[in-house]
Amino acid sequence: MKISLNWTRDYVKLDASVEEISRAITFLGFEVESVHVTGAPKLDHVVVGEILTRGKHPNADKLSVCTVDVGPAGGVKTIVCGAPNCDAGNRVLVALPGAVLPGDFQIKQSKIRGQSSDGMMCSADELGMEGDHSGLLLLPDRPALGLSIAQALPGGDTVFDVEITPNRPDCQSHLGLARELAAWFKLPLIYPQEKFRGDVSGAPVRTDLLHGVCVDDAEDCPLYSAFVIAGVKIGPSPAWLQERLKAVGLRPVNNVVDVGNYVLLETGQPLHAFDAKKLGGGEIVVRRAVDGEKITTLDGKERVLSDRMLVIADADKPVVIAGIMGGDNSGVSSDTTDLVLECAVFNRQSIRWTSRKLGLSSDSSYRYERGVDAHAALEAAYRAIDLILETAGGQVAGPRFLVGGTAPWQREIVVTHDFITERLGFDIPAADMRAAFESLELTVTREEPTTHPARGPAWTVSIPSWRDDLDRPIDLVEEVLRLYGTEKIPAAVVKSPGLLAEDDPIVVFNRRVTEYLVGHDFHECVNYTLRPAKEVATWVSAVAAQELALANPFVEDQSHLRPTLIAGLIEVLKLNQSRGVAVSRLAETGRIFVDSNGQNLECAAVGFIIAEPVAERSWRKREPADFYSAKHHVTALAAAAGVDLARQPLTADTGANGWQDGQSAAAGELTQQGWFARFGLLNLALAKSLGVEGKVYAGMFAILPEKLTSAVTRRRFSEFSLFPSALRDLAIVVDTAVAATQVQKALLKSARAAVGNSFAVENVGVFDVYQGAGLPEGKKSLAFSLVFRSAERTLTDDEVNAVFQKIQDDLAKMPDYQIRK
Amino acid sequence: MQDQLSALLAKAAAELPAIKNRPDFESTKARYVGPNGELTALMKQMGAVPKEQRPAAGKLINEAKGQLQVHLDAALARIGDAEIAAQLGPAVDPTLASPDFGPGTQHPLTLVREEMCRILRKVGFTVADGPEVETEYYCFDALNTPSDHPARDAKDTFYFPTTARFGNVSKKVAEERYLLRTHTSSVQIRTMLKGEPPIRIVSPGRVYRRDTTDATHSANFHQLECLYVDKNVTVRDLKALLDYIFASLLGKETKTRFRPHYFGYTEPSFEVDLTASHLPKVKKPWIEIGGCGMVDPTVFEAVGYDPAVWSGYAFGMGLERLAMLLYGIDDIRYFYQNDLRFLKQFA
Repeated sequence: MKISLNWTRDYVKLDASVEEISRAITFLGFEVESVHVTGAPKLDHVVVGEILTRGKHPNADKLSVCTVDVGPAGGVKTIVCGAPNCDAGNRVLVALPGAVLPGDFQIKQSKIRGQSSDGMMCSADELGMEGDHSGLLLLPDRPALGLSIAQALPGGDTVFDVEITPNRPDCQSHLGLARELAAWFKLPLIYPQEKFRGDVSGAPVRTDLLHGVCVDDAEDCPLYSAFVIAGVKIGPSPAWLQERLKAVGLRPVNNVVDVGNYVLLETGQPLHAFDAKKLGGGEIVVRRAVDGEKITTLDGKERVLSDRMLVIADADKPVVIAGIMGGDNSGVSSDTTDLVLECAVFNRQSIRWTSRKLGLSSDSSYRYERGVDAHAALEAAYRAIDLILETAGGQVAGPRFLVGGTAPWQREIVVTHDFITERLGFDIPAADMRAAFESLELTVTREEPTTHPARGPAWTVSIPSWRDDLDRPIDLVEEVLRLYGTEKIPAAVVKSPGLLAEDDPIVVFNRRVTEYLVGHDFHECVNYTLRPAKEVATWVSAVAAQELALANPFVEDQSHLRPTLIAGLIEVLKLNQSRGVAVSRLAETGRIFVDSNGQNLECAAVGFIIAEPVAERSWRKREPADFYSAKHHVTALAAAAGVDLARQPLTADTGANGWQDGQSAAAGELTQQGWFARFGLLNLALAKSLGVEGKVYAGMFAILPEKLTSAVTRRRFSEFSLFPSALRDLAIVVDTAVAATQVQKALLKSARAAVGNSFAVENVGVFDVYQGAGLPEGKKSLAFSLVFRSAERTLTDDEVNAVFQKIQDDLAKMPDYQIRK
Repeated sequence: MQDQLSALLAKAAAELPAIKNRPDFESTKARYVGPNGELTALMKQMGAVPKEQRPAAGKLINEAKGQLQVHLDAALARIGDAEIAAQLGPAVDPTLASPDFGPGTQHPLTLVREEMCRILRKVGFTVADGPEVETEYYCFDALNTPSDHPARDAKDTFYFPTTARFGNVSKKVAEERYLLRTHTSSVQIRTMLKGEPPIRIVSPGRVYRRDTTDATHSANFHQLECLYVDKNVTVRDLKALLDYIFASLLGKETKTRFRPHYFGYTEPSFEVDLTASHLPKVKKPWIEIGGCGMVDPTVFEAVGYDPAVWSGYAFGMGLERLAMLLYGIDDIRYFYQNDLRFLKQFA
């Protein structure tokens, strides 16, 4: 809210500088967003002068040459001037050499068309002030010659734009903030003097203007009061009132409307004035609107209302959207003579809901939403009546209407000096604490010693009605600290006790996989979690695109939770490719969301892509990545989560969205194992349709957070033989569709059986895969290397040969496997 | 014999330097000193030399043998050198760039997050984590945010349809809605509900606000929050922590200050400023970096801790904002575009 310093000074006699006041507001707990100074600027070398003579410039028709007396500031000067009103006898402001005017305009001794000039006489515009810029700013008050601009002109105003926190609706007003500043600067708070106190007993009764007020919905309108003021004369408000409103950015309208705004900004209580003659039936009904009911608000827009919205209506029609904005059918206009002044309290939620629904807010609705002090509402009405009578004349008429109201306010908090000190961690003297309360009008009604003699007193603090935010002893700790000054919290050594726990397993997992990937030349990326529906459907399924949708997305392309990290990485790939940046290895860790049997599961995930570096030319070619590169990395990532992928069944992909059939694979299942992995070549057609060039290999590992544990399984050392190994090679021809692991397992089983207990089969591994000439169509050859070793001795050829023969005999019995000779 | 030996040596001296490889060398060597070699043949003639001439002849042969060996050794050494040279290929140009990709880079948000976690770990905080999909209870109710609070409005917070089910995100009450957490404070609630005080955690993570994306706003961003719960925790302790964090991060000369503020889940509450004159692209003497305060008793009550016994503080800040300050980045969107020219600047 905008706070005028001049205005604030009505309530607290501040003599601190703007900087000090700004600092005070800041450390009282309100952010000063900007400080705006109006009126004459404080400029050096700009002084009052009187034009003594005016003559024509010898070389220019439109210029004059004047002699100007600036008195003690330098005597008589010769100044060339182009203004039409530089007539002798006028007192004006003269910028002497050395002055710097707004816009960094430096005034120097100069020659203008051959005529020397000792400075410049100024227009309002040239001084950075509002006003007529067609001529010099004349000083009709004739201030003394040589006075500086600051002394010669009234000071203008300083306006602070202050952000008021939602817990302090009382500070949405000049009086409220003045109270805070009075407390900070230890100055008294001066309340406006009220003449009218609500008594209409002697006043004429004008039921012809208003004869009834009826509140249908007391819950949404706990208090409604209406006063009749007859015989007013609408006109412009006095200059002081206009100045105040203009200073805080409001446009003066007329005396009655301006008073309403003034009192709102002074007290925080919204008021509304009707033209009494426009109230149909001379009555006011506070009711819910009828669905579809319409009203044209003061801003000229027609609003369609619903039955959750509260309106102020007359006998026929709604005249105000309660607490938000008046209609154009009942407001005060130049020919208004009789007023009805409304002073009401409305339910915060109701106002907020209606304001949001209609997309309509006002100074009034803003304050109702945050809460007004129901106990002070009528005071604001009295204040407004005083000001209306003062500025628009007229007289208060009866009867007065008051519907609803609140129980008398009373709240007390008992707090001890010790309690506050324990929370703060440093000592503030008891007297200072008590003074802090009192300065905020938190009256201490009792002070008692506490049971322990060495300890400070206990206070019973009476809380005023406008401080509904203060409810508990802890709330008073903040009040004490605010006024003591948070800048004075003493320094201390940070407490650094031992660790109580380990880092969360997800954090450890993310750290491990990131370090692994970065160590393998991947660039870690961070992508948005929210993705477009189409992407989810493309990469996972149409079902996922339903399950993962937000109820209220903000923009269309960020409407769904991401089910994969790969799509985001592809986008990064594309961005870099399109910008001509060489890019290949990208990785990300983060949450993904997987729909599974009608429910969504939040997973910790890590994903990567390896793209062909299409754009980049290098002086030496490197081996390109392939399926097995992706497998290698996924295996390492799974291991970081404690999953040994080598022991898990892998399924080759067929028809998985996003992945290339026959070139990618998957392992694990969320609902079964609690994790899954997917890796291989991304679907080429998809990548191409996304605008990505070249082959992209990718991998992703995801795990339910609850499956990650920090438990460490201690490994045990196992003995290994120091004797040499014996090797035999064996090639087996199988159908191309047969998985290598299947053959390897069969071979291992057979080898173990053949060896028995005499020695060990250390390894059975594929060292060659062949398909093509020399083999029948649909067959492939897998060449295995068998490693035998004994723990006790060097193996002899004979015993190894015997075993090897046994294996071959065994395999010969298996029709699916042919030994390749 | 001397003539024969001289001729033999002359021949060897002429032919050995021309030999290119090891097999040629071996066959040539065999022609001299092999079982059927020329020198071997001469040595065999020693038997026919008269006895009195034998010493002289033997000497001659030994000398010749020695000289031949010098030629052979030289030839072998030369072949060995040539072999190594062939294996090595031409000398490298060390100034050529490696054709390998890399090195990899950690994202600047990770770098900043990890640095903060390290600083906090030194003073007893461990890293906690929690779901990004949350419920109204953990994100708002337990944090003293009433149901009509504007932060909960569907204008500002992302919600899921009432039919949505998240199998591994627990609800407190069946009717509450799922949402995307608006702050990582929900991790504090889950941590406090799961464990017993004392508690010292730092919870970095992704949060979501329904907001227009521009240079300083992003639909998701990252926060880092600290929670300290123990007996006799004071405002002064909180200030000491903030002083410690930013002195560690930015140097001992960095100062922090508290400005009173309002948050529903802390009382008293503060905004934290730090001296920023030495930060890139910052022209103000103080810059706002986060919010903090003493945990509000209602929050303790919500998680079943007795506020008469336990006290604590919480501090939170935006990681993007911190990274932007530290590195002088002026647009938050850079973090989410992942242009490699950006990513490579911070590793």
